[in-house]
Amino acid sequence: VNKEVRWRFTFVGASFAFVGLMIIFQMIRLQVSESARDLEKFDDPWYEEVIYPVRGQIFDRWGTLLAGSKVVYEVGLELNYIDLERGDLPKIAEVIHDYVGTKKKEIVTNARVAIAENEEAEEGEGLVLLVVDDYVPADAAQRLEEYITQYNDQTWNDANAPKLWAIQISPHLARSYPEKDLASNILGFVSLMDGRGHFGVEEYYDGVLAGEPQVVKLSSNPNMVEEMRAIPPGTSLILTIDREIQATAEAIIDEAVDQMGADTGTIGIMDPRTGEILAIATTPRLDLNEYWEYNEGYFPNRGVGYAYETGSVFKVLTMTMALNEDLVEANTTYTDYGVLDVGGALIWNWDRNARGVVTMTDCLQYSLNTCLAQLGLDLTPVVFYRYMHEFGIGDPTYIDLAGEDPGSLRDTNHPLWSWSDLGRNTFGQGVSSTVVQMLKAVSALANNGQMVSPHLVKAMVVNGKQHDIQIQSAGNPIAKKTARQITDMLVVSLEKESSDALVPGYTIAGKTGTGEIATEEGYTLEETNASFVGWGPVDDPRFIVYVWLEKPKTDIWGSKTAAKVFSRMVERLVVLMNLPPDELRLTLQGN
Amino acid sequence: MNRGQQLIQAYRQAPWRQQVQWIGLFLIGVIFLAVIAGLYLSITARAAEHGRRIQAIRLAKETTEKEIQDLESRLAELTSIERMDEITDEMGFHVVNENQVLYLIVPGYPGRQLAWEATQPEGELESQADLPPEFTQSLLEWLGERISQWAGEAGIGELGGSR
Repeated sequence: VNKEVRWRFTFVGASFAFVGLMIIFQMIRLQVSESARDLEKFDDPWYEEVIYPVRGQIFDRWGTLLAGSKVVYEVGLELNYIDLERGDLPKIAEVIHDYVGTKKKEIVTNARVAIAENEEAEEGEGLVLLVVDDYVPADAAQRLEEYITQYNDQTWNDANAPKLWAIQISPHLARSYPEKDLASNILGFVSLMDGRGHFGVEEYYDGVLAGEPQVVKLSSNPNMVEEMRAIPPGTSLILTIDREIQATAEAIIDEAVDQMGADTGTIGIMDPRTGEILAIATTPRLDLNEYWEYNEGYFPNRGVGYAYETGSVFKVLTMTMALNEDLVEANTTYTDYGVLDVGGALIWNWDRNARGVVTMTDCLQYSLNTCLAQLGLDLTPVVFYRYMHEFGIGDPTYIDLAGEDPGSLRDTNHPLWSWSDLGRNTFGQGVSSTVVQMLKAVSALANNGQMVSPHLVKAMVVNGKQHDIQIQSAGNPIAKKTARQITDMLVVSLEKESSDALVPGYTIAGKTGTGEIATEEGYTLEETNASFVGWGPVDDPRFIVYVWLEKPKTDIWGSKTAAKVFSRMVERLVVLMNLPPDELRLTLQGN
Repeated sequence: MNRGQQLIQAYRQAPWRQQVQWIGLFLIGVIFLAVIAGLYLSITARAAEHGRRIQAIRLAKETTEKEIQDLESRLAELTSIERMDEITDEMGFHVVNENQVLYLIVPGYPGRQLAWEATQPEGELESQADLPPEFTQSLLEWLGERISQWAGEAGIGELGGSR
């Protein structure tokens, strides 16, 4: 081999050797570098993560957002980045306190404890991130982040300056109620403690709103990243509530409670054709964004969760039963002596007066307890309680709100039942029911004999598809003819009475109620539950409004308190529902 | 020297030439392997880059979803009853009573429409996002699947899993 060839071989060999050595050098460099430890996690790059879907939103019937989510921030400390000797911790505590408000001492103590525990823990088992505050509003978190960036830039080259590298600010979603206290007793709230819905719709539909948490397998190795299934958000709910009607009802009941000195007040409004609840306004209410500031008395919905003795509004049901059984008609007469003996108990009229011969319409107009008690006797207990159950009294309505009170009804099957119970039950004493139960029962009268189930959800949006909730009939306890009869009787009795409930231009059927409150000494008129139930327009009912004032002070009678609230409500309601006065409406319909 | 030996000697190459040929063959092999390794590295790097992008997009998607929720809530706050009442008061509007309302029949106007919050059905979007097997299967997996399929059709029985 000549010299030239040998030189060539030497050159090629040296080149390969050089490249090989470089490769080996690079491999060693990679293995001993600080970044090499990151490669260790690629040995098993797969990890599982529980993904919680975004909680479903809640809208009113027109699509106004009543409950959604907003971004809040969690502030944490990455413990490995804290250098105690450099004085990081006091500086961190000071900055977080200044911008977020967390107590300095709390931060320092918790961090020191966690760091000490980490030193004793085995490798890979210590706490990495210590959460020092959560649900921090966006503006505070943003200001904190800006300060940290600015501070880090300023102190980057100063090895002795305390560092804020450990502070981690991460966003997440939290429940938000843009309307604050509007419909608060319908919506309920999501607890910051357990992330679950409490009270109202939030509790009743917690499962569907929250969605199904999913465990997904993710890879930290970018070579192994796979397509991740889309996690469907929680189901969104479109309620039957009308925000404007709800707000108006709340304003009216607030004013009424204030003016009349009542303990609480409730207005329930339902569409008698469908059972859709348009509003349930109750007092007291709470700002759902700060639910923790209120005591438990603010949380339940009094229209659903509190049964009470409604008093004379119940008479419409007793009269309806008698009409449906063909025992009486509107003009059937009854001789009122002011008192009636039922099973040994004396039933008195509310004013203890006798009115002589009266018609059935008069019985409703004057709200005669004796007359209705007599009808109860004529019906017989078996028939009377059968109707009571058919109207849903004593049974839950199964409305889609948490915490429903089914009320109480002592019927003939009860061991303590007596004839006096029958007498008292006919005019709403000794039997308790909720506002929603009464709305349901009265829907049969307003809706041609067909009773509807009160409900609050109109539609659900599941995976981007909207599913409308079908209307469910709750049975036909009475005939269409009976419904017409009782409606006409109530229209006449209201008009003859010149009731405060009347609304000029609109034909309304309704009945007042004043329920005495049972005390240890028996029933007393010193404290009452004042109620009114009414519906209209009677030829094509579009609303049932139920008003309940608990212990009004200015006047104990429902006719002087609840009836006024009813008319105020209906005056606003007809505008909000675009319902022209009867005469104009019938003219327009005729055209 | 017989004729055969003469022929072999006539065509025998010099030892240094043979050595060069062997080295050349070895180098061709090395180059071939280097090309394969280069291709592999190139594809792996691209896959890693895309993987990183997917991770980034996933993060961006989560952030955007949060922002959407947040903005919807803020918008709702700005149009809340309380806020709208303030605005209408400032503008001098007041609540009308039932006697002040003028009712008109507008032919063809269906009235205020109920909420319709549903968007594109997500099921369709999901199916669009499914990657075809060409992008998720290795050649060996594809081959295994073909063989299994062929074996199944021919009634030979399972030859092994594909993926």
